[in-house]
Amino acid sequence: MYKALQQSVKALRANPARTFLTTLGIIIGISTVILVLSAGAGFRSLINQQVGAFGSNTLFIQTKVPPTTKSLASASAGGLGGGSDMGGVVITTLNQRDLDNVKQLGNVSGDYGMVIGQSVISYGDIDKSVLYYGSGAAKFSIDEHTLQSGRLYTQAEDDGAAQVVILGSQLATDLFPQGNALGNLVKIGTLNFQIIGVYAPQGFAGGGTADDSAYMPLGTAQKKMLGINYLAIAVVQLENPNLGAATAASITEVLQRDHNITDPAKDDFSVETEAQALSTFNIIFNGLTALLIAIAAISLIVGGVGIMNIMYVVVTERTAEIGLKKALGAKNKDILNEFLIESILVTVIGGIFGVLLGGLLGWLVSIIATHAGLTWVFSVPLYAIALAVGVSAVIGIGFGVLPARSAAKMDPIEALRYE
Amino acid sequence: MDLINVENLKKDYFNDGVATPVLHGVNFKIDKGEFVAIMGPSGSGKSTLMHILSFLDRPTGGSYYFEGKDTKGFSDDYLAELRNERIGFVFQSFNLLARTTVLDNVKLPLVYSKKKDQDILAKKALESVGLGHRLDYFTNQISGGEKQRVAIARALVCEPAVIFADEPTGNLDSKSGNTVMYILQQLNDQGHTIILVTHEQDTANHAKRIIRIKDGNIITDDKVKERTIATPEKELVK
Ligand SMILES: Nc1ncnc2c1ncn2[C@@H]1O[C@H](COP(=O)(O)OP(=O)(O)O)[C@@H](O)[C@H]1O
Ligand SMILES: [Mg+2]
Repeated sequence: MYKALQQSVKALRANPARTFLTTLGIIIGISTVILVLSAGAGFRSLINQQVGAFGSNTLFIQTKVPPTTKSLASASAGGLGGGSDMGGVVITTLNQRDLDNVKQLGNVSGDYGMVIGQSVISYGDIDKSVLYYGSGAAKFSIDEHTLQSGRLYTQAEDDGAAQVVILGSQLATDLFPQGNALGNLVKIGTLNFQIIGVYAPQGFAGGGTADDSAYMPLGTAQKKMLGINYLAIAVVQLENPNLGAATAASITEVLQRDHNITDPAKDDFSVETEAQALSTFNIIFNGLTALLIAIAAISLIVGGVGIMNIMYVVVTERTAEIGLKKALGAKNKDILNEFLIESILVTVIGGIFGVLLGGLLGWLVSIIATHAGLTWVFSVPLYAIALAVGVSAVIGIGFGVLPARSAAKMDPIEALRYE
Repeated sequence: MDLINVENLKKDYFNDGVATPVLHGVNFKIDKGEFVAIMGPSGSGKSTLMHILSFLDRPTGGSYYFEGKDTKGFSDDYLAELRNERIGFVFQSFNLLARTTVLDNVKLPLVYSKKKDQDILAKKALESVGLGHRLDYFTNQISGGEKQRVAIARALVCEPAVIFADEPTGNLDSKSGNTVMYILQQLNDQGHTIILVTHEQDTANHAKRIIRIKDGNIITDDKVKERTIATPEKELVK
């Protein structure tokens, strides 16, 4: 076996340019697999980290349009005012009373509501379209928040619908290139707001803190900006996250009672644990990964067929050599092994270069993502490397066996005569 | 015990089901230490006979006893082992591996054997044909005469029972051809059995015995009366 390996290495070294070209299909296929898996691992780490920003002990209540009924919904004038907005229908039933009732439940240690709106923010002669979040002040004791400067708003400001705002870091820079945002008055819509704080850069819009959004008390957004009294989203903090599923069921019961819903199919809200949100993401993400891997697999098959093609050419070219080796005592299985090892070597070398190239590309992606302000962990999963090398060896055997067999079966006399 | 004993040996080639008889039933024996030339015009069946004797091909009739054993039942793998261990080949067109060193070419039969100290064996074989100074040359860097001497070294390296040389001087100028014949005679003097295939009387006269073959039949089988003794190139004289 070792000697067959030596013979194969000699054959490959005799024609390095072709060896490289032969491996190209495998390099592309394997590097795609590695890139997909590496970038996937990075993306997953990003999502997990962002979801973690909510605190791992939270539940979400989101409004949703029940699939069959319109009776609970009222026609919407459009806009992001709050509630779930699908097909011009806005759910207006989730409100502070629901939250107060939820808060009475055993495992719930706190909750807050949230609405989202869009408006124009202006300072001096700078105008910007902006997404603003109105959240209950309780949010600050539930989620993680890091300010660059200033302070958070208080429960009193929330209750009193005070016109105070915290800016995302990017928004603050856009409006105040000199960095003197704090304390100034900005106009949001038609109202003046005092800037009381600026968030530290967050990157991705995870915990409702995108860098170019504005953040105000829930009361202010509801009463002064939107003129509504319902909520779009509520966040519930759990004492014991392990009881999340049971608590979610209790919350569902409370809301069904509040909303006079008897048929769960007509729920105008959904309660999601963070684990559920994560698993929904994971299902979509795994599907996407599988799709990309399938594409990579096609490229691997194309690469394998390419190798088979070249190996047939190589066998024909080396007819005289095969005849000579047989005359000098090579058995059929010696010749078979030499050619099989040669094609395995080609594919495994291609696989190794593919791993390196895919890893390099994955690393570039991580650099770009990090530059874009994302917390992106670069890694190439070990199983991906093992998989890549294993797959390429299998391709080498699978697509190399026919040419190798045709070499092994050659008649030495015919082959010796071949020029 | 005869080294080679063939009885009524026949070979038909089959093309599209049609049999073409090439050897019509030949009989002869060759002893250890002989130097035999198989001679005849082109197309007479010399190479066909040599391929059978050297286990590259099988007869379609008659018997071939090698070292006293009937070869009929031998498996393909066993024939490959016999070629490796008992047979040395020298071909008309040298058949060396391109882009490969002289030393590696001579080591090629050893790749398929279990012999130890392969480098030493290959170097010794090359020294015996006067090419100890060309070990690391590539085969495209040496002359035709040197190529055939490399091929002879390769035929020797496994210490075979018999060396087959099919038109070994056919592609060489007379001086290089003379050197090749000189080496073959030297090897025979040292006890090697040599079977030379040629269509030239002059070349055949270097052997000790000539089996003349025509249209697949042996027509004469005689001792050489006035044997030609090849003279070496100067560089080979020790
Ligand atoms: N594979 C083959 N199929 C059919 N006929 C063949 C084959 N090989 C050789 N022959 C024929 O057998 C005869 C003897 O060939 P060969 O042994 O090569 O002769 P020599 O070596 O004496 O020139 C020739 O007529 C040749 O055409
Ligand atoms: Mg011939």
